[in-house]
Amino acid sequence: MRSGMLVDLRKCIGCHACTVACQIENKLPLAEKWTKVLKVGPVGEYPNLTSYFMPLPCMHCEDAPCVEGCPTGASFRREDGIVLINADKCVGCKFCMLLCPYGVRQYNPEKGIVEKCILCYERLEAGEVTRCVETCMMKARYVGDLDDPDSEIVQLIRKNNAKPLNEEWGTKPSVYYILP
Amino acid sequence: MKEIKKVACHFCHMNCGMLAHVEDGVLVKVVGDPEHPFNKGAQCSRGASALDHLNHVNRINYPLKRVGERGSGQFKRVTWEEALNDIAERMTKLKETFGAETISTIGGTNRTDDFARRRFFNLLGSPNVTHTAPVCWIPNFLAEASSYGWGSFDPEVGNGARLVVIWGHNPGASYLPELRGILEAREQFGVKIIVIDPRFSETAAKADVWLPIKPGSDNALALAWLNVIINEGLYDCDFVNDWTEGFEELSERVQEYTSEWASKKTGLSVDLIEQTARMYAMAKPACIAWGVALDQLGRGSTAGAQARVALRAICGNLDVPGGDVMPGPHPTFITDWEMELNEMLPEEQRAKQIGSDRFKLNSWPGYKLLSDNMIRVWGKTLPAEWFCEANPPSLFRAMITGKPYPVKAAFVVADNPLISYGNSKLVYEALMNLDLLVVNEYWMTPTAALADYVLPAAGWQERPTMTTTYGVSDWLVASERAIQPLFERKTDVDFWMELGAKIGQKEYWPWKNEEEIFHYRLEPLGYGMDSYNDFVQYIRMDFADREYRKYETRGLATPSGKVELKNSTLEQLGYDPLPHYEAPPFSAEVHPELAEQYPLILIAGGGFNPFFHSEHREMSKLRLLNPYPKVAINPKLAEKMSIKEGEWLWIETPVGKIKQKAMITPAVAPDTIQAERGWWYPEKDIAAPSLMGVFESNISVCLDDDPDTLDQPCGSWSTRHIMCRIEKVGEDI
Repeated sequence: MRSGMLVDLRKCIGCHACTVACQIENKLPLAEKWTKVLKVGPVGEYPNLTSYFMPLPCMHCEDAPCVEGCPTGASFRREDGIVLINADKCVGCKFCMLLCPYGVRQYNPEKGIVEKCILCYERLEAGEVTRCVETCMMKARYVGDLDDPDSEIVQLIRKNNAKPLNEEWGTKPSVYYILP
Repeated sequence: MKEIKKVACHFCHMNCGMLAHVEDGVLVKVVGDPEHPFNKGAQCSRGASALDHLNHVNRINYPLKRVGERGSGQFKRVTWEEALNDIAERMTKLKETFGAETISTIGGTNRTDDFARRRFFNLLGSPNVTHTAPVCWIPNFLAEASSYGWGSFDPEVGNGARLVVIWGHNPGASYLPELRGILEAREQFGVKIIVIDPRFSETAAKADVWLPIKPGSDNALALAWLNVIINEGLYDCDFVNDWTEGFEELSERVQEYTSEWASKKTGLSVDLIEQTARMYAMAKPACIAWGVALDQLGRGSTAGAQARVALRAICGNLDVPGGDVMPGPHPTFITDWEMELNEMLPEEQRAKQIGSDRFKLNSWPGYKLLSDNMIRVWGKTLPAEWFCEANPPSLFRAMITGKPYPVKAAFVVADNPLISYGNSKLVYEALMNLDLLVVNEYWMTPTAALADYVLPAAGWQERPTMTTTYGVSDWLVASERAIQPLFERKTDVDFWMELGAKIGQKEYWPWKNEEEIFHYRLEPLGYGMDSYNDFVQYIRMDFADREYRKYETRGLATPSGKVELKNSTLEQLGYDPLPHYEAPPFSAEVHPELAEQYPLILIAGGGFNPFFHSEHREMSKLRLLNPYPKVAINPKLAEKMSIKEGEWLWIETPVGKIKQKAMITPAVAPDTIQAERGWWYPEKDIAAPSLMGVFESNISVCLDDDPDTLDQPCGSWSTRHIMCRIEKVGEDI
């Protein structure tokens, strides 16, 4: 069992529903966003242009630099692959924020700790999908078991040759993208 | 007690289905309804913020009465009883002095049950009911309705279309479920997508072919497509022969609109115009999706709609599966029109409708002609709300000048006219001149700040909703309220019923609440439910059996019973019956003398997330996604003027000047800028002249609405091609 996510960049239109729904679901401060959506482009010269949007949750890497480098052991990877931060152990040193190549970790000044996407593990345990998948108007996001060859997510990854973002960095992310 | 209520979201007019989790009468969670056909369980950023809206500290929760000068922003809390009694008394006096027509009402995009408003005004005797109708769907719908008897507003992309033309429309920002459906259709059966938009929009980025036309040149493109399709014989001969009138006149008329001519107007190559015309004509079935930009061309809005009517008809796409389906009214349930009591408004009062002597298609003269035909064929007609209204620019002028007669009162519901109509400073002058201004609102807004009474409006979580596409669809979706209105908020229906009772309309409002009204309206469907809420829980929606090619069995609701390519209704009203070109009214083509002073083209329309029209600026999570108004400018223009990203810029037209922040992007052409609309600042000083910054960044300040420049049949003002100039503000504000 390895929980992962797939984002279809052909469909995302950058409405930020996931960003806001996630903030509300996880009761985040206004400035903290666990799933930002980046706008790429438009690139080119009018009218020869391309553009797409890139949702950026935690990649829940298999070889996660944030877990390796956490001096207090607060960052850890569960058996199902979800990377979490133990709030009791985190001292807010922000070292993990330097280490994460995807820049998804954020400091919560109210709590004095670092936080990030938790892949809605409680929802997954309850048999639900993550909040961002549930709310996506364009049905551009999927969550599922990357170890199950029959799961929808694995089928879609294979069919569309989906890749993780910057695979060459070698952290083995659990988030895949169908490229636009 | 825990309950799950089936609710409809009103943060735009899509009315997506929501499931509201209520515990002991408290709304604790709102999620998308997976069984709802529009959103299929999803929520946009606004929908996800349902509780933030319901419980926001800035909500107006009690009736407020103005205590200072109009514009001072000083109010005190009063009871509903006091407010309604005073309003009723002042209305009655105004009616006695000036006649009922002196009382008007101004509405916005559907967050209300406007049949109730019309019922109230018909009983009152005033025809001066208005909306932003001329710039929102109505010219397109009425051009279609007068040509083939109803609007063909249901493009069936998902039902096997081979091509869809998304024209002047960006569902990627404003109608997300619609774009999802189109992209799914592409995935499933390869529908081709043509997007026509001067800006590289979210939707254009997904297109197979994007036609980057010059702003406002849509008519030229449509006419050239007709020219190519007719001259190359690509049209559906059988349909043209059997079901249309005026094809020869149309053919003659479009001869002058060659691809070469259109290339100069649109900036597209001759090849691209011709190839896309052929693509459209040869892909059957194909749809042309409706876009609001086309209603906002000002003069020429209806003429352009006539051209698209002709394209749909001669290519055989009208009312076929996968084409442009014309649903007609629902045959059974009681529609908005049947609730309006239009027959109670006497002929002499109809004749007083402001603007109806000039903009006739969208007011009583046209409505009468259309309705006669529609009732013959469908047994029902369009609601008067939206389709038969006073002309807003003419109404505002009457408030100022007292001509043709004094308009002294206005009821504003779900609208912020200082922003949503053109020429905001003129609208301000008009509202300041009123004797009685009543605003039903969620928040204090610039318009509400001017009111005599600001009345607390219930949000969608606190009201039932019956979705029928403004009363013109052959389906309905029924939704219940999650909770009773909090504090002293009321729905607009309750407001009209209670105020109506105070001015002698009691016998016409035999219902206690919306649920009773909706139950009454649904009873003819024969489901035998005990209550409206039971219908919502067990049935929820009713889609009439969809028939195609209804013209074969019913005929068409036009005077000739055919598709009128030469539109006899328009002709009878005194307008050009054939599609034709009109230059954008504020372009260098019409005003070459201003070209040097105002060298750029402004696009002042377009929806953008996370906001809907002028709403949602108060909601912090949403506002932080887009904290300031942005004007899109091309990198070449920015370089030429040494403009930096995020710098404040003045945007100026001959009527006004506002500022927005530069967003440097190649999405617009070097000679074009696109300003965001709907901007005001809830955080700024409420008192005039600030009025919550309504004149600072609100692009409507820059729009002219001179009646001579409006669309002739429908009175639309232009937002799409406005000569302008920009200048650096040059200071940090």
